[in-house]
Amino acid sequence: MAAAADWGYASELDDVSGAVAIAGIGETAYTKASGRTAREIGAEAAERAIADAGLEPSDIDGLTFSGAFPDFDAAAFHEHFGTSHDLWTSPWGGGMAWAATAPYLAAQAIKRGDARHVLNVFPVAWATQRSSMTGGPGEVHATQAMKQNFEVPFGWFPQPVYFATIMRRQMLEFGTTEEQFGAVAVACRRHANLNPDAVMHGRPMSIDDYLAAPFLADPLRLFDSCLISDGGAAYVTTSIERARDLPNVPAVVKGVGEGYSASGTHWAQQRAFTSTPQVFSAPPAFAMAGVAPADVDLLTVYDPFTVVSLMQIEDMGFCPKGEAGAFVEGDTLFHDAGKLPFNTHGGLLSHAYVLGIAHVVECVKQLRGSAAAQVPDAEIVVYGGYTGHMASTLVLTKDR
Amino acid sequence: MAIKRSDFPLPDVDEPSTAPYFAGAARGELVVTRCTGCDRYVWFPEPLCPTCGGALEWVPVSGRATLFSWAVVRRPFLPAFDDKVPFITALVALEEDPAVRIVTNIVDAEPDELRADMPVEVTFRPLSFATVPGRSVIVPMFAP
Ligand SMILES: [Zn+2]
Repeated sequence: MAAAADWGYASELDDVSGAVAIAGIGETAYTKASGRTAREIGAEAAERAIADAGLEPSDIDGLTFSGAFPDFDAAAFHEHFGTSHDLWTSPWGGGMAWAATAPYLAAQAIKRGDARHVLNVFPVAWATQRSSMTGGPGEVHATQAMKQNFEVPFGWFPQPVYFATIMRRQMLEFGTTEEQFGAVAVACRRHANLNPDAVMHGRPMSIDDYLAAPFLADPLRLFDSCLISDGGAAYVTTSIERARDLPNVPAVVKGVGEGYSASGTHWAQQRAFTSTPQVFSAPPAFAMAGVAPADVDLLTVYDPFTVVSLMQIEDMGFCPKGEAGAFVEGDTLFHDAGKLPFNTHGGLLSHAYVLGIAHVVECVKQLRGSAAAQVPDAEIVVYGGYTGHMASTLVLTKDR
Repeated sequence: MAIKRSDFPLPDVDEPSTAPYFAGAARGELVVTRCTGCDRYVWFPEPLCPTCGGALEWVPVSGRATLFSWAVVRRPFLPAFDDKVPFITALVALEEDPAVRIVTNIVDAEPDELRADMPVEVTFRPLSFATVPGRSVIVPMFAP
């Protein structure tokens, strides 16, 4: 393993610790193909988040959304709510890694006086789009020249194959076993079975079920891989002072981090092949928050594949590099018994593939004490985002 | 898909940023990009050397490498691969600079023969897909 951290870097972020809080959350149903558009889904999530915050649509004066998938932008907001007021907007929000950094953008907009109540929205309708053979996570990659000519012709495509080779290398370097990857999938499924909103609710899975499922790309099995779903969520960020006036217990934004791999989305060339840019993102986020990994009551991470969970658990400092396999065995990740309750809503593997936005909502619910698989006395909760060449970290805490 | 090329997923031999790789393979040479300023290999190709800003040139390498990682693809993720599964897709690390990883197929070997970091050597093979009738491109593949 490359000891030197020369394969990526962290963004320099201002200290926003304690300045803002998430005051409202909204979710749609999480489903297989729904026939709905992402714009419709986004509107519903937005409406529910605004209502949950005790606000009116006209109170929302800031909007962050996904520039990559701009399904719910300012025009969609105004069309849905019949409003026309000025909205501060940024396309650097939405889901994926940006689900963690959107509150940072909100904090800065609020500090500058550009907005008071900032809505972050992310909807997706990939399950519906997939049935009509458009869209989906692979397509974005297949349009890049290097991938199209140096990777796709050799069948190193799409993401399940990339991560099968990362998984193989992790097994070769660290001795991670198939049962250890399975432990992540089983924990997520266990949590989904406690959560009626999860797509895989009512479909229990044992380690034997995991091992009996077919390989997509050996060593990666079916249940190492995330779902494809329709659904969306949104949340409202406001100043801590304002949040205290609103109906919900504030989820205080204590730390934010952002890190990048220098090799971009070319995983094949990433120097530290079995690492994620959480190496760069998590330490400054924990430092901003004034907490250590050992203080964390609940971790949610962007988990498209089981190996991505293992890598982030290591890279965020919850265990030494190479030891996540042994770390996750047994009940470690369980919401009620484990030392690191993990993806307690079911994650991308078993809740829904809505690209991380529901992970942040789950973190807020855990702080409110309203989660389906509630972690007792959760006070410090973390979301680890991971998108291509970028990782992000969001530390939320109870107000005190 | 937003891929408009009718020969997808064959490589686009007319794409300037990647064409020399396939022209090299057609001559029986494995070529990659190296900086004319600092002599570092740069892979994948970039417009300029990310270390020193120098111009890159395509240079032949030995074709000797080690097997960095691999997967045995069993589900065809694109229709073009329907009749190819199972096949071995792999990353191999060049002898000249192991940081250069070539994405390739391993041929003339069964999956259970593969070992971490085993030596492999380039072999130039025609790549074709049943979904792209009448076309093939010579590409670098690797064998133990
Ligand atoms: Zn150079």
